[in-house]
Amino acid sequence: MKLQAQYNKISIASTILVLLIAGAGYYFLLQYVLKDQLDETLRVEQVEIQDFIQTNHSLPPATTYKDQRIEFKKSDKAFHQSFRTLMVYDPDEKENELSRQLNFPVEINGQYYIASVTKSQEATEEIIGLILLITLGLIILLSMLLFFANRFLVKRLWKPFQTTLSSIKSFDLNAPSAIKTEKTTIHEFNELNENISMMTEKVVKDYLSLKQFIDHASHEMQTPLAVVNSKLDVLIQDPALNEKNLQDLQVIYDAVDKMSKLSQSLLLLARIENNQFSEKQEVDIHIVAKNIIQELDEWISERSLTVSNEISDLKVNMNPQLANTLITNLFINAIKHSNKQGNILLRSDKNIFTVSNPGTQALDKHLIFDRFWKSEYSDGTGLGLAIAKQICDHYGFLLQYEFREGIHHFSIIF
Amino acid sequence: MKLLIVEDEKELAASMVSYLKNENYTCEVAFNFKQALDKIETSDYECIALDITLPGGSGMQLLKELKNNKKTDGVIIISAKNSIDDRINGLRLGADDYLVKPFHLSELAARINAIIRRKMYKGNNVIRFNEIFIDTLAKEVMVKEEPVELTRKEYELLVYFLSNQRKVISKNALISHLWSQEMGTGESADIIYTHIKNLRKKLNEKGCGDYIKSLYGMGYKLTDQ
Repeated sequence: MKLQAQYNKISIASTILVLLIAGAGYYFLLQYVLKDQLDETLRVEQVEIQDFIQTNHSLPPATTYKDQRIEFKKSDKAFHQSFRTLMVYDPDEKENELSRQLNFPVEINGQYYIASVTKSQEATEEIIGLILLITLGLIILLSMLLFFANRFLVKRLWKPFQTTLSSIKSFDLNAPSAIKTEKTTIHEFNELNENISMMTEKVVKDYLSLKQFIDHASHEMQTPLAVVNSKLDVLIQDPALNEKNLQDLQVIYDAVDKMSKLSQSLLLLARIENNQFSEKQEVDIHIVAKNIIQELDEWISERSLTVSNEISDLKVNMNPQLANTLITNLFINAIKHSNKQGNILLRSDKNIFTVSNPGTQALDKHLIFDRFWKSEYSDGTGLGLAIAKQICDHYGFLLQYEFREGIHHFSIIF
Repeated sequence: MKLLIVEDEKELAASMVSYLKNENYTCEVAFNFKQALDKIETSDYECIALDITLPGGSGMQLLKELKNNKKTDGVIIISAKNSIDDRINGLRLGADDYLVKPFHLSELAARINAIIRRKMYKGNNVIRFNEIFIDTLAKEVMVKEEPVELTRKEYELLVYFLSNQRKVISKNALISHLWSQEMGTGESADIIYTHIKNLRKKLNEKGCGDYIKSLYGMGYKLTDQ
C-alpha cells in the first residue's frame, strides 16, 4: 500500500471517529441543556399559577396556548411535584408529540388539585435535528477536504522523493550518471539525497577500481605467463629429457594454457563491461555459424557428432568479434556436453537463435550463466557461458536455457 | 641476418634469444627504450620483436622513429594487451604483425620468418627444405617438383614446422597455431596426431623423407638429422 493511501486511511478514519464521538456528545449535551431550559419554563409557569392561587384563592382557567397546555385535576391528597416526558396528542397537528410535563399539587380551601403544565418538545427536537445535520455535513465536508488536501499537498511534499527515486531507478552502474535530486526545504529528503549521492559516488568509484583491478591483474599476468611458456618452449629442446619429464612438462603446458585462457576470458569480460566493443555492423549469423563449424570440424568428428545448420536469414547489428565469440562459446559448450554420436542443431526462427544438443540431465538454469560455474564433467574455465551471457546483456538480447526431452536448448532472442 | 629483441622482461628476452638464434640469425637484445633507440638508429635489422610497454618510453614511439627514419626493418609487436585499438594503431604505424602475450616461441619464430620472407623476397615467397618446396603466395607444396595436395590445416602445419626446423614444438603450440579457440586437452592430442599422420603420409607418397618426429605425443620436431 502506498504511503499516501496508508496515511489517508488513518487520518480520515480518525477524523470521522473523532467527529462522530464529538457529534454524539454534542447531541446529548444539547438535549440535556434544552430539557433543562424547558423545565425552567415549566417552573416559571408553576410559580405564576401558585401566585394566581395565592392572590385569588381560585384556580386559573385551564388554557391551551400554542404548544403549552395547563390543566387541573382534583386529587385527594398532597404529593411531590414531578417532571416527566410523554407523548401528548396535538389536535392541531393531529399527531402525538413528544412533550414535557410538570405535575405539582395546589391546595385551594383544603381541596387538593393536580396542576399539570405540558409543553411540546417538538421545537427543541427540531433544533437538535438541525444541529445534528449541520454536524454531519461538517463531517463529510471536512473528510473530503482532508482527502483532497492530503492528495495534493502530500503529492507535492513527496515530489523531491519521487524525483530521487526515479533517478535511482534509471541508475546504471555501467553508464553511471550523477543521481538527480531536487532541492527541497524538507530536511529528511535533503539528508536522503545527500547520502544517496555519497553512496552512489562511492559505489561507482569502487566499481571502477574493481574493473580496473581485473584489467590490471589480467594484464600483469600475461608477462609472467609468457616467461613460463617461453622457458617451457626452450626446455623441451633439451635432448636429455625422458618420457616422464616430457609428460610432466605437458601437465605444466596445459596448466599455463588454462591460466592464460582464464585471464584472457576475464579481460574479455572486463572489456565488454567497459564498452570497448563499440564498433557495430550487420552480422550474418548463418555465415558466422558456418565458419565456426568449419573451424571446429576436427573436434566435431573426434566426438562422432553431427551438426545441422538450419539457420535461415538472421542478421544482427552488433560487434562482429563479439558475435563470433557468442556463437562460438555456445557451440563449444554444445560440443563439450553432447552425448557421443549426438546431433547438434543450430536453427533460427525469426529473431531467435537456438543451439540444441542431446544431454542426460537438466542443468540448473539459475547457475549455468554464473562465472566459474562448471558441471562436474567440464574441464573448461567456467567462463564460456558467462561471457555469452555478458555479451547478450550488453546488447539487451535474452539468453535462455531449457531442457526438454533429453535435449539442452540454448536460445538467444535478438 | 640480424634480429632485435626489445623486451624489458630479461628472462623472456633470454628465452627468445635462445630459441631464435641459429645458423641464419643473430640476435641482439634491448631491455629499455633508450637501448632500443640506440640500436635501431645505428643498425638495420631484418626483424624487430617489439614490446609495447618499456621502461623509459613506449614501443609505439619506437615505431614512429623507425617510420620517420624511413627504416624498412620488419616489426612484430609483442604486447600484453590484446586490444584491437592497440593492434590497429601498431599496424597503422608500420608494424607487420602483432603477437599477444603469452605466446609460444615457435609461433614467434613462424611469424618472424613470414615477415622476413615478405621483406626479403618482395612477394616471391618460397620456403625450401631439402626436397620440399613451398610457394607461400600460391600456397602450393611441391616435393621433387611434384605438387602435393594438402588440406588447409596440413599446409599450415607444414609451414609452421619449416619455420621451426630442428626445434621441438609442443602440442599446445601446434593447437593454438591451428585453432583460435582451444577445446580442452582431452582430444587435442588425438586430433593433432591425426593431422600429422595424414601430412606425413601425403609427403611420403611423393617420395619425401620422413622428417617429422614425435616426442611421445607431447611434441613434434621436423628434422633431417
